Amino acid sequence: MAGLVRLGYSLAKKSILSTTTRVISTTNQLNIKEIRERTEGTNLVIEGVTLPSPRTELLVRPPNVTPPLPNIDLSLTKLPSSEKPPCYMCALGLDVKHTDVLILSQFVRSDGCMLPKRITGLCKRQQKKIGKMVSMAQKAGLMINLTPSNSKKDPTKRKDYKKFNTYFDETTIFKKREMRWTERFKFRANAK
Amino acid sequence: MSAAKRVQQWATFARSWHIFDCKWQDPYESAHVIKKYLMGMHKPIYHPMNDCGDVVVCINSREIALRGDEWRKRAYFHHTGYPGGASWTLAWELHNKDPTMIIKKAVYRAMTGNLQRRHTMQRLFIYPGENVPEDVLQNVTNQIRQIRYVPKRLDHIPEEEVKNYPKVMEYPEDFVVK
Repeated sequence: MAGLVRLGYSLAKKSILSTTTRVISTTNQLNIKEIRERTEGTNLVIEGVTLPSPRTELLVRPPNVTPPLPNIDLSLTKLPSSEKPPCYMCALGLDVKHTDVLILSQFVRSDGCMLPKRITGLCKRQQKKIGKMVSMAQKAGLMINLTPSNSKKDPTKRKDYKKFNTYFDETTIFKKREMRWTERFKFRANAK
Repeated sequence: MSAAKRVQQWATFARSWHIFDCKWQDPYESAHVIKKYLMGMHKPIYHPMNDCGDVVVCINSREIALRGDEWRKRAYFHHTGYPGGASWTLAWELHNKDPTMIIKKAVYRAMTGNLQRRHTMQRLFIYPGENVPEDVLQNVTNQIRQIRYVPKRLDHIPEEEVKNYPKVMEYPEDFVVK
């Protein structure tokens, strides 16, 4: 039933958007390609070659986990949450801090923006955790070469309190906000 | 008495000088470490009635690091004594005015309030940068270990190291590297 609804929704979306955007593509339209030209006798051959990712050789994966499938969204499969394989960051079990810029910089664009979940292939919790740690590192001025062009790169030239060194506590990422004393008082008053 | 023991005894009874680099250190955490050296609590002969405290030289106090939003949340209270004379100065404002004041107040508050505290504070030297007078620096015989690691900025790490560092995330096939 849900599949039918999704199909109908996508058809409706395509019928509306087809006038402005091209939806049909024979090749994977976003692939990184290099254009090569060579001559074979009298013919000039121009071809686009998909480039291999520069990261593949350096990739670290836990040994007992199947290779990652970033293109397949795990949430769409019918597995219950207990049977889902852990995402690669959960399986690696690394204790990443916000100062580990060599790891965090792998999850950002060149403007320092965190990549979305469909690209990183992380689980929901890890995506949130790493996203928060990226913003911590940015606030602490540790990744200033990965920032938008209009931002103040040098942390010492920032305004007011932002120009001083700040460190963060990673345990606060998933901490629930404590109820204030006054709020607790109101809650009790309503219960009676 | 062996030579090592003799040096240990000399260091215990002399007033030795320690240096502490405040770069990227939390002043409120490091105050509890500095306090022990100032009061002589690291010595086996420590007693509150015995004047065995050492001298601590703090450098780079301009580059202390506060946690989270402490720079704009922590306020320092002062009252002139006149009506309406109360004032609250935020930590970043105080640090703008005097970069040595936060660490000084942190150490002062870490010690218990007694008559000895002001005299113990006389043995604490704080310098905002690395420029320490020569006559102070030549007394220093020990360095106090920093509590937190000084974080390394990504642009200070050589490009080759960033490139060859083991990678965790792999781009999906249909990704355009921006």
